Amino acid sequence: MTTFAEHVDGLRAADDLLAVDERVHWDTEAAVVASEALRNNCAALRFAETSGSVAYASGVYAGPDQISSRSHRPWRRIAAGLGMDRSVSYVDLLDALARWETTPLDRAMFVDPAAEEEAGDDLYALGLPSVDDEGRQSVTQGVMAVERDGETSWAPVRGTVHRGSLLRVTVPRPFLDWCDGERTASISLGVSAATLIAALQGWTQDTTAPAVPERAAGLADVPLARTDGRVVPAAAEVRIDGVARPTDDAVGGPSATWERATETATVAVDADRIRLREDPTVPFVPLGAPLADDVHLASLVEAATLYRRVNGYWGVSPVSWVQLPVESRLGLCLVSSEILYAGFDWQLANALFSFSDFFDKVLVLDEYARPTDLARALDDMWVKAHPGNDWVFSDPNAPAATAPVYRRDGETGSRLYISAIWDPRWDEDYIAPRVTFESSFPENVRESALDRWALLGEGDE
Amino acid sequence: MTVDSLREYLQRLEARDGLVRVEDPVSWNLEASALTMLANENDDRIPLFESVEGARLVGDPYRGSQRRPWDRIAVGMDVPPDTSRREFYDETIARLKDQRDPVTVSRSDAPCKDVVETGEDVNLLDYPWPYIHAGDGGRYSNLHTLVTPDLDSDWVDYSYHRAMVHDSETASVLLLAGEQTPNLYYYKYERRDEPMPVAIVVGAEPAVQYSSVMWIPTGRSEVEFAGGLKGGPVELVPCETNDLRVPASAELVIEGEIVPNVRRDEGPFGDYFGYMHGPRRSMPALQVTAITHRERPIIPFCVEGSGVGYTENSTSSMEIGCVGPDATLGLRAGGFDVDRCVPWQSTPRTVYVVSTDATAPGDLHELANFIFTTWGMLHVDFFVFVDGDVDPLDQRAVLEALALHADPDEDFHQFGVESMPKVPLNIYQTPSEKGDAQTGTSKAKTAKAYIDATRSDDDDAQAAATAGETADPDTRYWARTLLKEAGADPDRLTGFDPTGADT
Repeated sequence: MTTFAEHVDGLRAADDLLAVDERVHWDTEAAVVASEALRNNCAALRFAETSGSVAYASGVYAGPDQISSRSHRPWRRIAAGLGMDRSVSYVDLLDALARWETTPLDRAMFVDPAAEEEAGDDLYALGLPSVDDEGRQSVTQGVMAVERDGETSWAPVRGTVHRGSLLRVTVPRPFLDWCDGERTASISLGVSAATLIAALQGWTQDTTAPAVPERAAGLADVPLARTDGRVVPAAAEVRIDGVARPTDDAVGGPSATWERATETATVAVDADRIRLREDPTVPFVPLGAPLADDVHLASLVEAATLYRRVNGYWGVSPVSWVQLPVESRLGLCLVSSEILYAGFDWQLANALFSFSDFFDKVLVLDEYARPTDLARALDDMWVKAHPGNDWVFSDPNAPAATAPVYRRDGETGSRLYISAIWDPRWDEDYIAPRVTFESSFPENVRESALDRWALLGEGDE
Repeated sequence: MTVDSLREYLQRLEARDGLVRVEDPVSWNLEASALTMLANENDDRIPLFESVEGARLVGDPYRGSQRRPWDRIAVGMDVPPDTSRREFYDETIARLKDQRDPVTVSRSDAPCKDVVETGEDVNLLDYPWPYIHAGDGGRYSNLHTLVTPDLDSDWVDYSYHRAMVHDSETASVLLLAGEQTPNLYYYKYERRDEPMPVAIVVGAEPAVQYSSVMWIPTGRSEVEFAGGLKGGPVELVPCETNDLRVPASAELVIEGEIVPNVRRDEGPFGDYFGYMHGPRRSMPALQVTAITHRERPIIPFCVEGSGVGYTENSTSSMEIGCVGPDATLGLRAGGFDVDRCVPWQSTPRTVYVVSTDATAPGDLHELANFIFTTWGMLHVDFFVFVDGDVDPLDQRAVLEALALHADPDEDFHQFGVESMPKVPLNIYQTPSEKGDAQTGTSKAKTAKAYIDATRSDDDDAQAAATAGETADPDTRYWARTLLKEAGADPDRLTGFDPTGADT
């Protein structure tokens, strides 16, 4: 079990959390600091001195870029949030997310909600950080819970505070359709990674799978609670209860990444009760900043979905891994695969285009490419793919991808895949071996070198 | 205070705890390069191998750190170690503009003449040229400066071409037509059936090594640019067996001549793009006439192909730290309004990134056309253009621009498939396409492309505009200060330039 509070404690124990002790204002200042931390591959942040009733945290599910260092694992904080080892391999994490296991609620763990302190109904008193130039307090990471016909579902939300008791949030339109009109609802802030991932898996990217609490419980031991008949994440730091009704008034400010590939709608929430746990911490995302949490979460969810689909598509499982690099803000997809036959790279790239709306560029890598070595994968893009023959553009009849920012006018355009694989028609003799420590030296030299280098390091201590 | 020799440079590294002396015996036969590759991949100190038969070896002395690929280059230029990348670029460009004439010193004042071997005393095999990767065609000198004169003028060219040792007095030199020195050889000396006098300067002072990898315009003296880089004149001394002058503080100098119409095998070699490159091909032959050196010379070498993606060897670091500023200066001198020209960090020589605000219709095409027709561009296949406010040294930012702003429908521009020249150092052509052509160019031509990753008017401005992203420089500087006070690793923060220019 890893609740949000436990996750923050875990980040602190792993020396992956910075405590910002200076007072920062909710209006812009916190977002600027969070954005700079992300841009510079810093640890996650916790802002203790704020002007509202909650502390802030940022970057709790984000991570460093893979380009500046080969040791970086951008997914490590999400893995930790799921209760996995921070050093878990990317493929093991994909496997876990791709299983889509669910746990029936009668086998899930129900406890009393941790947020039991009444905090009235004044949303402004929370002092939620603003992430846009409009200066509105914002909800950037959380889920909405709604019960319908005895079934509860959770959806991702992004929204802004408009009055002391009015919150306006963006939700996936299929979720709103499922709600089927005005409902009582709870918005939970400070929830576990499993909760956020399950909500994304349930309602974004053309998925309609309301059994989100069951999916969250299948991903990790997520403690649940019931309030007014709804199932809610029991360990949430803050819970806002109220009435949710559809509205045509859109939410301003920068979008979350999941909104890029999901039809959305707006819900107005009239808050009638706010509950806090002791010393609550609310995570926020400086939306639009590079390497932000929403990019990481959407990247993993989409990659796992694609990994699951392409490995079940041709009757065999040729794909080693799929990655939508957070560095590209999901505008590029990398796939590492065995190339089953000549032209399979074309099939693979176009299957990915068919299964995802985010990107219009795919880089196909050989099965030996490593997901931990993004810079080397990009190296292959430039040096292994023939600049004329292996950069393949479609006719300009494809719908616009959603992650890039061009062609917002509904016009069609081209897609590009880059085939950085060895041509299956080539003789084996043409294949250039990679220069690696393993391939460049015989075993006895490698062993000797490793031993000697270790001794040199010890000599310094 | 200038850095006048490789030894002095290594001492400075050691003073910064950036050097480790390996006292136990190490073999030149893969062992030194294996240890160096480990150091490179672990971002560890530079290894100086003290006990190697015949000389000392130093592995990848100019390799930068993962986050600051220019930092050891800066040490060699006596630039403060905490200089930001933008400040380093500006300082390097300023120094390149301030060239200094070299001076000549007597043989007795030249450390590289401590030991002089000519005639029957010459034996290349007395020195521990490293065998770098299993599978290489032989032992190499691959971090040096090749000095050679123009046949028709006073111009002396300094360049960087690896040499594979064959026996006691011959080697083959990788001369790929299209570059300055190979052009001199193939289209002047060999056509006139004359030998080309050369000197291979091994362990030159840092500024000389740096200038020899730069794309200094034809006819201009690299040694004068080296003087600019070090902030003082380079001291030269006459060779023993030809009329060339070489840097006096060098560790070792191989004098000789490249013989017309004689070829020796060269390669395969684990090359800079991270693959074992083949096939074995014929390259011009060097006949050695003299070797001079310091006492206990130090031979630097580069483990090419190591750390691909992360600027983790001398070649890739020098591309970032030296070739980038030089190319920027060259483009500006050509009349183009560019902010920075930077090699893609993980792929030196194949792709360059140019940041510019000059994006009116036709501007980028004209700029790309100019670049692809200049000398040295046979290695380069791609240019990526980004807006002037995107840091081309920040590959994360460039990748984002590429993914979000380069429309496959409109922004990828190929210069004719199979119509442009290419050196055979690539792995996307078959061996028969690369061929063993006498001049070292591929038999099959290739395509070049430029990618316009600048924002268009139609791009959704909101996608890149958030409170954090649009904050003023002072606020961002305050934010970084706050992070530092909270315990953030200062090395991770991109400087504290109050103008925000370093972000």
